[in-house]
Amino acid sequence: MSPRTSLLIAVLIAASTASGDEGISHFESKVRPVLVKHCYECHSAASGKSKGGLRLDTREAIRTGGDSGPAVVPGDPSKSLLLSAIKHTDPDLEMPPNKPRLPTSIIADLETWIKSGAPDPRTSTTHPVERPPVDLESGRQFWSYRKPLMPADHSKGIDGFIRARLAEHQLKPAPEADRITLLRRLYLDLIGLPPTPEQAAAFSRDTYEATVDELLRSPRFGERWGKHWLDVARFAESNGRESNLTFPHAWRYRDYVIDAVNADIPFDRFITEQISGDLLPARNGVEHARLLTATGFLAIGAKGLNEQNKTQFAADVADEQLDAVTRAFTASSIACARCHDHKTDPFSMEDYYALTGIFKSTTTFYGNWIDSENNNHGHLIRLPDLPRQVIPGRSLPPDRVKQLKDQLARLNADEQEQNDYIAKAKAEGKDLSGEFHKLLSNALRILWTRGGVEGQLEAVDEQGRALPLCMGAKDASKISDSPLFERGEIAHPGKVVARGFPQVFDVSAPRPNKQSGRLELARWLTHRDHPLTARVMVNRIWHHLIGTGIVRTVDNFGFSGERPSHPELLDYLAVKFMDGGWSVKAMIKEIVMSQTYRQSSASHNAPGAIESDPDNRLLSHAHRRRLDAEVIRDSMLAVSGQLDVSRRPGSLVAELDGQSVSMIDFNTKLPSDLDGTTRRSVYLPVVRDHLPDVLEQFDAANPNLVTGARDVTNVPLQALYLMNGPFVQAQAKALAQRVMNEAPSASERLQRAFALCFNRAMDDREQALIETFFKSARGDDLARFTAICQSLLASAEFRFVD
Amino acid sequence: MGLAMLGLADLQASTSKPHFAPKAKRVIHFFLNGGPSHVDTFDPKPALSRYEGKPLPSHRITERKTGAAFPSPFKFQRYGKSGIEVSEIFARTAQHIDDIAVIRSMQAQVPNHEPSLMLMNCGDSIQARPSMGAWLTYGLGSENQNLPGFVAMCPGGMPIKGAENWQSAFLPGAFQGTYVDSKHGDVDKLIENIRSPHADTQVQMKQLDLLRRINLAHQRERSDPRLEARIQSFELAFRMQSEATDAFDVSREPQHIRDLYGNGVHGRQTLIARRLLERGVRMVQLWHGAGQPWDNHADIEFNHRKLAGEIDQPIAALLHDLKQRGMLDETLVLWGGEFGRTPSVELAGGKSKLGRDHNHYGFSVWMAGGGIKGGTVHGSTDEFGFAAQDNPTSIHDLHATILHLLGIDHEHLTYRYAGRDFRLTDVYGDVIRPVVA
Repeated sequence: MSPRTSLLIAVLIAASTASGDEGISHFESKVRPVLVKHCYECHSAASGKSKGGLRLDTREAIRTGGDSGPAVVPGDPSKSLLLSAIKHTDPDLEMPPNKPRLPTSIIADLETWIKSGAPDPRTSTTHPVERPPVDLESGRQFWSYRKPLMPADHSKGIDGFIRARLAEHQLKPAPEADRITLLRRLYLDLIGLPPTPEQAAAFSRDTYEATVDELLRSPRFGERWGKHWLDVARFAESNGRESNLTFPHAWRYRDYVIDAVNADIPFDRFITEQISGDLLPARNGVEHARLLTATGFLAIGAKGLNEQNKTQFAADVADEQLDAVTRAFTASSIACARCHDHKTDPFSMEDYYALTGIFKSTTTFYGNWIDSENNNHGHLIRLPDLPRQVIPGRSLPPDRVKQLKDQLARLNADEQEQNDYIAKAKAEGKDLSGEFHKLLSNALRILWTRGGVEGQLEAVDEQGRALPLCMGAKDASKISDSPLFERGEIAHPGKVVARGFPQVFDVSAPRPNKQSGRLELARWLTHRDHPLTARVMVNRIWHHLIGTGIVRTVDNFGFSGERPSHPELLDYLAVKFMDGGWSVKAMIKEIVMSQTYRQSSASHNAPGAIESDPDNRLLSHAHRRRLDAEVIRDSMLAVSGQLDVSRRPGSLVAELDGQSVSMIDFNTKLPSDLDGTTRRSVYLPVVRDHLPDVLEQFDAANPNLVTGARDVTNVPLQALYLMNGPFVQAQAKALAQRVMNEAPSASERLQRAFALCFNRAMDDREQALIETFFKSARGDDLARFTAICQSLLASAEFRFVD
Repeated sequence: MGLAMLGLADLQASTSKPHFAPKAKRVIHFFLNGGPSHVDTFDPKPALSRYEGKPLPSHRITERKTGAAFPSPFKFQRYGKSGIEVSEIFARTAQHIDDIAVIRSMQAQVPNHEPSLMLMNCGDSIQARPSMGAWLTYGLGSENQNLPGFVAMCPGGMPIKGAENWQSAFLPGAFQGTYVDSKHGDVDKLIENIRSPHADTQVQMKQLDLLRRINLAHQRERSDPRLEARIQSFELAFRMQSEATDAFDVSREPQHIRDLYGNGVHGRQTLIARRLLERGVRMVQLWHGAGQPWDNHADIEFNHRKLAGEIDQPIAALLHDLKQRGMLDETLVLWGGEFGRTPSVELAGGKSKLGRDHNHYGFSVWMAGGGIKGGTVHGSTDEFGFAAQDNPTSIHDLHATILHLLGIDHEHLTYRYAGRDFRLTDVYGDVIRPVVA
């Protein structure tokens, strides 16, 4: 409800209930005006504020109170915080803040009112502020922890829910967008590329559904929607943080995601594979490899590789995995309960350590070997040998393998020698402090050199042939529950917590037993009764298609997140998603077939009417959206004719020498913008803290975080990229060449460029503008067409979807 | 000339008129993200020594567990005519104490980084509101049409909350801060694609004029303020080419000035900031580093000494340099974090980590330059530095004061959104008169 209408209702109720009753009349004449004048500013639904968790605008709210307790206890002024606050008896609670004390007469009026039982006609018009739960029971009452139920009246589907809310606010939905706008929106949303002029010509409203089906079948679909998932999965090909070492095998997980999205692997199965693929049965080597690769989800997070304490390192890796899993699949911040019970959500430290046991019973394979930046050897998973397998790793000549093995033996012998020397000296009571530096350098030499040798040997077989390897997870040799570590400190283990799932969820799934429990975790997450998994995913899908989530905080469904704008719609979609076999494609189709998706982005309401919904949460028209970084780049390649739709085998990162990203700036083989290809952007290298220019400038997801919704900024650096960036210039030139080849006359060439870029004809005014430019500009035809094409690529129309 | 052709005159508003005569024209904000400890920097608490190892008589609830009193490991000393005590880790800055007003009674709302960053930058812990830099450029415009009005620099990546710290929220997009990763020394890396490939600016200007016209035609059919911002960003980008390469290039400074600021990344970013301010940029925010470097829950002696060591010289250099250029009177320098730290030691499993937890009950910031009464201390914390005691000062008060010094009545700098007039200070804020000269 908008503040304005709720205020109106409050006024109406006030008018209808103010009776001759003396108490009520005292309230109306002496109390309400004071509250409205001095308190509502910070404590009312109308102001949208509830400072200190307190609202004072309903009887219920004033008696429930806020963070410090009830504001009013009827009949008991001494326990009524409202009174002590306005009396300024507690220096920490003086109201109104930073203002002189209210006149004594007013304070006396309020005291009289409370003494007389605080009669209050203000019945609740909205729910009282939801407070962080103090116990599990109140947590279970919170909207997102109750399981979604199909709303009784859902016969009109998405549009029914949207239009009902619009009608409540006297708003009209916008009519359907025009044919070309709709087609562009569909193409850019579903496959991340604009339609060609030929595709646009063939499209009509009658072929809308067929076009949807065709796009959902296109291999380009997985590249677009796979990237959405890679954002959530914090996918990157390097570790980030202090030790930013490369992950040369991470690309296999990238390809797994793209293929899984294209194959529309049911989302419950998709979750299960990523969390526990290694524990699932496989029919053949291909499937086995696929399932092992899926667990890369658990391995690609950032780690504190220079941590010296192995126990601490293991605890931190488990923490990162727990955080990624719970944020990605349930939009929850359970990892906050590592050191103390969650401050705002109903998660306890027991919940945290019950989950931690599962990840601590897991071994993570991430590949980095020991060197000066890394104290924790990551190893890799050996994949089955398969035909036509991509193996970007370098093979070694057999004699090089032998050399490495000899070197390893020598290093081991050196280590033995030094250890013996130290042991002997100790036994003899000899003081080695004078040799400390020498001994330390020798130990580090052995440790770091051996790490590199072992790393190289692990990547090849006896003959030196590069092996197929992947990042991922497997059950550890030792399966055990985790102690609850006081304040999250490994030095202070407390009681052991059985592996299991957070208590607030009422989901009866089997608990972990003999295995790590990752499979049970996946079964629990994908259980029909789980209140979050399906809701969170349909909300992510909605966000990408509509431009804003039903819950706008797509990665936070907790108390500090926003409430859904259309709770019944969210439940309808979630239940439908599960009933429909968790098909992401079916859910996308359901949404894009709705009139809500298809409506125009121009509002058809009077400007005054829209003011009650300035953020268009009610969807009286479509959101106009800026394209994602990848779509901007891919669209340029598409219209210039340069796009290579083949999959990049492996990744640029897999071809780097050595494992440290700090060498990137010195690597002359690399293009300075880390681009230099004409393949789709999903195949660009994702090096943490070193994203390719186009991704960096246009708000690509920060791969250090689970990201369901990207920022959208607008800064002059983006304009500089479009004006001066070598990539954009190259595409402008290619587009110019293309139209010059494809059309004979200047005006036909320009028409072709407009059709390619915008799927529309150039209008007369534009033609006049461009002709003027053409005549006055210098250079040959190619130079002048290039300048024009660059203006088209840099235009707002190219970068926005209407 | 050609600039008029680009339609500049009416687009990015040039200097707008302040409400009254301003004392300062621009702001530089050293943001010690993570939360610097006030009791180790600008708020000495000798009483902590008396309680060393013992519980404090007045303990507040802290986010994590904290225990006994933890006296500062640093020596404090009086400086200047005012004799204000400053910690040894800011000894160089302290040489300028008579130009500085320390506010020792700041208060935030919660002991968490994210909401406190939002409060300090945007005036609201929870709701998405425009940042102070966005308000200032909205209210005063830019004095230099060739540079962004609001620049945020942070070496090595973004602070927590990223671009939200300098967001424009519901203000037009042109007012959001432009982020520059100051870890780079080379201008082409600092501002990527700053160099036009066209030898002749006429060529590019004509091309941009075409682009502007295409964009305007597109905008006419749609009432979307973001499109306007997009047009402006191109024009600004075009103009930046002429000036930014120079402004961001510290190698154009004489050696003795570069030596004054020091060779580190903070010396460089502070010197760049001075060059930007000199050229009329309205607000520059200098973040200490990616993430939250000042968040020293452990080993505060080592960590705070190291961090302060990185910025003490650049800050002192800036104050000196601004003064000798006659710019200090017109430049407001703001120093501080999102909150302070506890006077009690942080515990982990009952053991001391020799660090301090978050403290929003009381902490220090300081201001110097434009319109500030130097050598002043305003407000105080209690005997131990746990909570503000005299003259508790809210972030809204701080914002109101900064706006006041820039000639703006904080109650009258408003923007209508969703049917309501919004302010940086919401419905709060009193100018802190005692620090105003």
